[in-house]
Amino acid sequence: MRTRTHVRPERSAVELARREDVAEGQNPVAPKQSPEPGRRAHTRDRLGRFGLFAAPGLLVYLALVLVPIAIATGYSLTDKNPFHPPTRWVGLDNFAGLASDGEFFTALRNTVVVTVIVTVVTNAGGLAIALLLDRRGWLYNALRSVFFVPVVLSAVVVSVIWQAILVDDGLLNSLLKQLGMDHPPGWLSDPSLALYTVSWVIAWQGLGFCVVIYLAGLQGIPQELHEAAEIDGCGPLMRFRHVTWPMLAPAVTINTVMSLIGGFKAYDQVQVLTNGGPGPGTTSTLAFQVIQTAFMGNHIGYASAMAVVMLVVVAAVSVVALRLLQQREVSS
Amino acid sequence: MTTAPKARLRPLAASLAGLLFFLPIYIVLVNVLKNGSSIVSNPVGLPFPPTLDNIDNVLSRPDHLFWYGLVNSTEVTVISILVVTVISAMLGHYLARSTGTLAKVAMVVLLCGLMVPPAVILTPITEVLRAVGLMSTVPGLILAYVGYYMPFGVFVFAGFVKTIPRELEEAAALDGAGAFRTFWQVVFPLMRPASASVLIFLGVWIWNDFLNPLIILGPAAGTTVTVGIYRAIGEHQADFGSVFALMFLATLPILIFYLAFQKQFVKGLTGGATKG
Repeated sequence: MRTRTHVRPERSAVELARREDVAEGQNPVAPKQSPEPGRRAHTRDRLGRFGLFAAPGLLVYLALVLVPIAIATGYSLTDKNPFHPPTRWVGLDNFAGLASDGEFFTALRNTVVVTVIVTVVTNAGGLAIALLLDRRGWLYNALRSVFFVPVVLSAVVVSVIWQAILVDDGLLNSLLKQLGMDHPPGWLSDPSLALYTVSWVIAWQGLGFCVVIYLAGLQGIPQELHEAAEIDGCGPLMRFRHVTWPMLAPAVTINTVMSLIGGFKAYDQVQVLTNGGPGPGTTSTLAFQVIQTAFMGNHIGYASAMAVVMLVVVAAVSVVALRLLQQREVSS
Repeated sequence: MTTAPKARLRPLAASLAGLLFFLPIYIVLVNVLKNGSSIVSNPVGLPFPPTLDNIDNVLSRPDHLFWYGLVNSTEVTVISILVVTVISAMLGHYLARSTGTLAKVAMVVLLCGLMVPPAVILTPITEVLRAVGLMSTVPGLILAYVGYYMPFGVFVFAGFVKTIPRELEEAAALDGAGAFRTFWQVVFPLMRPASASVLIFLGVWIWNDFLNPLIILGPAAGTTVTVGIYRAIGEHQADFGSVFALMFLATLPILIFYLAFQKQFVKGLTGGATKG
């Protein structure tokens, strides 16, 4: 027994008519005015369009992103090492190894620290500077460009600049010595400081991006809202709390998610500034650890297990952050 | 009203924040024009008299580090951004206009690619490139970029397609233009703002990238300007004059590119982005 097909509203008119045909006529093979040739040509046309417009991009993405993710997942279950063939299947051993690997957990912890610092500093600093620069005039336009310049620079260039400033006998410490400090901090050589120094450099570079997004958000707030709040007797702080901040919710979402994803990618600055040190892995991030294990240690299987964990963590964190922040957007 | 002192406070605070923030870049700029001894004795002072020795040293290095890097970086960046723009414009348009479930799934899978850290897929990519004989080559590096940045291109173009009335395409089709002609003569020219953002963003990202050329090109197949800087700091740690000059020269092309398209770049950042 066939009941009347439920037709979803987004179906095309042609398809809709065809379905009604079948449902209305009791006999499905009843008189139809031979739609076959036209339909076949239509299918061929659609296939052609797919091949022409969609296939190249999908193929490249498949071959260079999806297949590599699949390969990494496969490797994570082996002990692959190009210098110790043959590769054996080890099941979940790599993941079990990660669970008791101090270096891995240090890298995970470091990544979380860097990500949190970068997210907080770029958002708080970016918002503060955006509020400061939210005016018209040549001075503010010029300053916007100033804050944006580091965004356009290579992370390697930024790291080398800060290295010159922050090494033990660098510019900052010679200044501190001139100011009378006998033992200035080892910004990059003190194991308890280096991770914060690296985070600072990453945040300095990312700040301009947040400034631009927040400025755009501020300019999207209707002036009437501010005026209305002022008439209601709100001071600047209250206006910020009840008008500016809720209206900036979408900008907060973008900046936070971008910083979170960016923090997890952190590699260049670690490599150039500290090479994972000083001491064993004090500034090593997940991305750094994966690359070191894969290309310096040649433990491809183990590095792949790390990469899989990293991917899952990034996905989970960004989905949760996106959900939470977008909820705020709706409710405000 | 007591706004007068406040009104003067804002430009002052803003300028001070800007100066502090810009200090590291200022240090590079002034020291490019100083010789080694005055960098050490007076790192923050203005370069008097200015000298072009550092720049000259970098340009006339016997190993041509800068020039080889410049050629590679330019080739890789230009080809990658053009290929990504063309392919992702077609794919983005196709997916945004398709109503099928498969197209929607493809879209979601593509957008997930936006958050994949490069380190995660780099090892397998080297395997894929080795399998097709492109490891340690410039085309291999370009291919890696095209795959990795495809999601970003599709994201931008698919979003932009929604601002183009479907009727324009239907009119072109009625006039007898095929899908190919409709796309290239009607749709693609209309997507110019989206193309500009994709070209500029990817231009900056790819020019500045470090990890991919470091691993994929490797030491044998030359270098890009970014990797060149990294190699140069290993060689002469103390000679900040030369390193700064190399950084300055390596950044100049992308900085000019950025300044030329600055408006477009910022528009791409903020266009619709904060509207939610």
